[in-house]
Amino acid sequence: MSTVLKAKDLCKTYIVNKRQNNVLKNVNFSIDEGEMVAVMGPSGSGKSTLLYAVSGMDSITAGGVEFCGKSIEKMKEKELAELRLDEMGFIFQQMYMLKNLSVLDNIILPACQSEKVKESRKEIVQRGEALMRKLGIIEIADNDITEVSGGQLQRACICRSMINNPKVIFADEPTGALNRASSDEVMSELAKLNREGTTIMLITHDVKVAAKCTRVIYIVDGNIKGEYNIGRYENPSQLRERERTLNNWLMEMGW
Amino acid sequence: MYFNILKKDLKRKKTMNIVLLLFIILATMFVSSGLNNVLTVLNGTDYFFDKAGVGDYVIITMGENSVGNISNALDNADCIDDYRVETAVFINQNNVTRTDGTEINSTSNVALFQAVDNAKLNIFDKNNEKITEVNEGEVIICGKYMEKNNVETGEYIRIKASDVEIDLKIAGKGKDAFLGSEFMGNYRFLLNKNDYEKLLADETLSKKSMGEIAYIETDDISALHTYTTKIENIMFEGRRSQLSTVYLIEMIAAFIVLILSVCLVIVAFVVLKFSISFTIAEEYREIGVMKAIGLKNGKIRTLYIVKYLIMAVIGGIIGFFASVPFGNMLIMSASNNMVLGNDAGILINIFSSIFTIAVIVMFAYSCTKKIKKLTPIDAIRNGQTGERFKKKSFISLNRTKANPTVYMAVNDILSAPKRFMTVIISFFVCTLFVLVLVNTVSTMKSSALVNLFSVEEPSHIYTAASEEFIGDNTSYEKEDYKELINEMADEITAEGMPCTVGRHFIYKYKITSKGDEFAGNFFQGINISADEFAYFEGTAPQNINEIAVTPQVSEKINAKIGDTVTVDFGTEKIDCIVTGYFQTMQMMGEMMILSDEAPVSSHYLVGYSMNEIRFTDNPDEKEIEKRKEKISELYNLKDNEVQNAAEFCAGCVGVVPTMEAVQYLLLGITILIVILVTVLVERSFISDEKGQIAMLKALGFKTGDIVKWHSLRFGIAAVIAAILAAVLSIPATDLCITPVFGMMGAINIDYNYEPLKIFLFYPLVIFAVTFVTAWLTSLYTKTIKTSEVSGIE
Repeated sequence: MSTVLKAKDLCKTYIVNKRQNNVLKNVNFSIDEGEMVAVMGPSGSGKSTLLYAVSGMDSITAGGVEFCGKSIEKMKEKELAELRLDEMGFIFQQMYMLKNLSVLDNIILPACQSEKVKESRKEIVQRGEALMRKLGIIEIADNDITEVSGGQLQRACICRSMINNPKVIFADEPTGALNRASSDEVMSELAKLNREGTTIMLITHDVKVAAKCTRVIYIVDGNIKGEYNIGRYENPSQLRERERTLNNWLMEMGW
Repeated sequence: MYFNILKKDLKRKKTMNIVLLLFIILATMFVSSGLNNVLTVLNGTDYFFDKAGVGDYVIITMGENSVGNISNALDNADCIDDYRVETAVFINQNNVTRTDGTEINSTSNVALFQAVDNAKLNIFDKNNEKITEVNEGEVIICGKYMEKNNVETGEYIRIKASDVEIDLKIAGKGKDAFLGSEFMGNYRFLLNKNDYEKLLADETLSKKSMGEIAYIETDDISALHTYTTKIENIMFEGRRSQLSTVYLIEMIAAFIVLILSVCLVIVAFVVLKFSISFTIAEEYREIGVMKAIGLKNGKIRTLYIVKYLIMAVIGGIIGFFASVPFGNMLIMSASNNMVLGNDAGILINIFSSIFTIAVIVMFAYSCTKKIKKLTPIDAIRNGQTGERFKKKSFISLNRTKANPTVYMAVNDILSAPKRFMTVIISFFVCTLFVLVLVNTVSTMKSSALVNLFSVEEPSHIYTAASEEFIGDNTSYEKEDYKELINEMADEITAEGMPCTVGRHFIYKYKITSKGDEFAGNFFQGINISADEFAYFEGTAPQNINEIAVTPQVSEKINAKIGDTVTVDFGTEKIDCIVTGYFQTMQMMGEMMILSDEAPVSSHYLVGYSMNEIRFTDNPDEKEIEKRKEKISELYNLKDNEVQNAAEFCAGCVGVVPTMEAVQYLLLGITILIVILVTVLVERSFISDEKGQIAMLKALGFKTGDIVKWHSLRFGIAAVIAAILAAVLSIPATDLCITPVFGMMGAINIDYNYEPLKIFLFYPLVIFAVTFVTAWLTSLYTKTIKTSEVSGIE
């Protein structure tokens, strides 16, 4: 399997009140195509910073990031924007969407904006609807974003992240703002997408979420403390066992 | 703690607070100067006339044996409370030259030369102080003589009349309530007593050119007419209200300032309401947190009200100080020639500033009302946007082929039109007002108003009176003038410009209607028929015993179409039937038309128009311009003495340069408002949409796309406002400006609308300014980082 994302000696430093704060310290890791990697760690450990740094959303202080063989740290803002639009998908904890657009319009927006997408508007819409159907939210296509539940909205965000067939989906605590039932639904969908071949990197505090991933990276104080490969999640019957073994490993890490 | 929260708030939202403070300053400045100007303009001529002591009725007499006539007639008039008479020497304006002998003004209109000690009317200097002294060898010239003839303070002029020649240094300009208006056509020259006596030393001047001006205080003008009809050699007589109308041109500019002030006040309050409600809506999250930790509603409200009170007081004080020079600047176009003011003076500005501060605090109070109804959870969840929970837009990205950024811009306006209403209303009001003024100026500069100064159809060229008509030619009768005019036509035709030449003359005759006597002005033309005037009711006078009148005259003499009035032609009295109504702005609409056959005499001639040249070979505009030059050379006329129809109208209205200056001032203020509103609203929007912007950036939208999205929204709002303003400018012009022209005698105005200007040029200027400002302001979105998507509240 080819490597889609590789961080090498990645450092990120913030200067706050003239004091240097090293959030990421020489982080090295890679993600292969088809993997679903969860990044876990205590609050303030640098998880989100890591996600934003490797996805080109935030600049890095030192080191390098390769996305599909291309170094993104040297890319200009415009190139990074194009990369995010065409090659990456994003899901955020807060389910951000444009308030004045309907759910379907929000989903197809990145495809309409992309210069790489050569399909007609009609074809884009059909693809958006197909994704919504797949995630079971087709009935809310024309709804306003304020008219749907949090779980539905997050699934809509997943659809939006998928619309340009990205190489990697980056998800920052995608279930953080959801209740357990909605959280399970969303994670099942993400796991399903992963089984179908989509590479996912997600940040989570939730063991139940991490247990559906193929690998877990544990980060403390800007350093990767350990990695745990738990294999592909195939069906719910495996879940309890995966959670248990993952919990044990996390305990060892100091969770 | 409150102080700390307040301090932090002012620091954290520095830009928004600065913009808001700027708007408070502007609002106070606009409201203060606006209200002061409203009062000043409404007081207008009354204030000026009272200060000058014009009285209720004014009479000018001129000519041999005219001195003493007024007193003789009025001494026993019991309807008069008081009257003051001043004497003056009347000399043709073309007798005033530069010291090297070059001409200043070729017009044969008379100017009044008067000793300052003898003046019974208060004349004011540029600082509105009464002029009480003029040094020997100096002169103060009233009205617009200096601007019009390009002479300046410090220059020397020469007065050469009969056998007298005096050189005088121009000491300054005077504001003359009676003769200061351009419409009166006569200027007053104030001299030192010794210089005035030098003029009187000349026998011809002291015998033939003396005259009197009487300022009469009376409550019964009808009774006064019984006495004034006995006064010989009346050159002019008029009521105070009639004199007010001659300042209408100045007052048009003043009223425009008034309407502008009202517009500015509306814009200021609309924008203030928007910015206060917007900034408070933005703070609902913080408000929710404060409520969650147990702060009471009253305390939270007080916090915000105190913040806005502090800003309002600071802005109000600065705005108050700025309002005085700003108000003076606005009213300057009208106050150049008038003493404008109101008795309240600066108190109005103080009151207005306090009022604005109170309104701002009231806005803040009403905007924070919602705090009371919200629970902490409501505030945190919904307060931030205050969005309604229903279908927003009827269009959909999935049903259009539009570019996403263009769609988002259009959709935002359709989804939340209220948010853009501030922009649309502000731009609409300002653009509409600019366009009304543009239409007015275009009309004044075109030949559209020709029927208000002459006959219905414009002539090709108008020329000033040639030498034959000037001077002591009062012995000329109609046939002599006709001969001169026909000679002129022959001369021009001989130069290869086949034409006819005509002109109309103004005669003053006594008329009797229903037992009352009046003095009336009548048109009669040579080579211009009575048929050629524009009659909006009835017909032209065809026979010797027929006349047409304006509605103003009809009302004054109480005679309608079909009624009979008696006209005293001197040699005979003829009972004339009123056959029709026409409109004119000559003599403020107080004019009548005689039939071509009426028995006129030059003894009663009080004025005449320019020569109207009509070419018989239908030349195009280029050819007319060429012929203008040829005629100018042929008769040795200056540029302004040979005019095409549009120039003739502009010259008659006289206010075009002032109106153009006001138009550009207004455009400048509109652009300033557009820039400020755009900056304020766009910064508010960016602040509100920070999360969405960061999200779009995270999804791969470039800063350029975000800038395009934001700029387009303002562009669309500007286009909506400009289209609305352009379309409504046509009825609005008619609605606002026709009554103003109506006061000067016009009934129907055929406006000259220039589609390119109103539908393209000015809307384009507003659009371009809006778009560029929005584009520059939205570049601020560059500072919003994609990573902020996680940190946004």
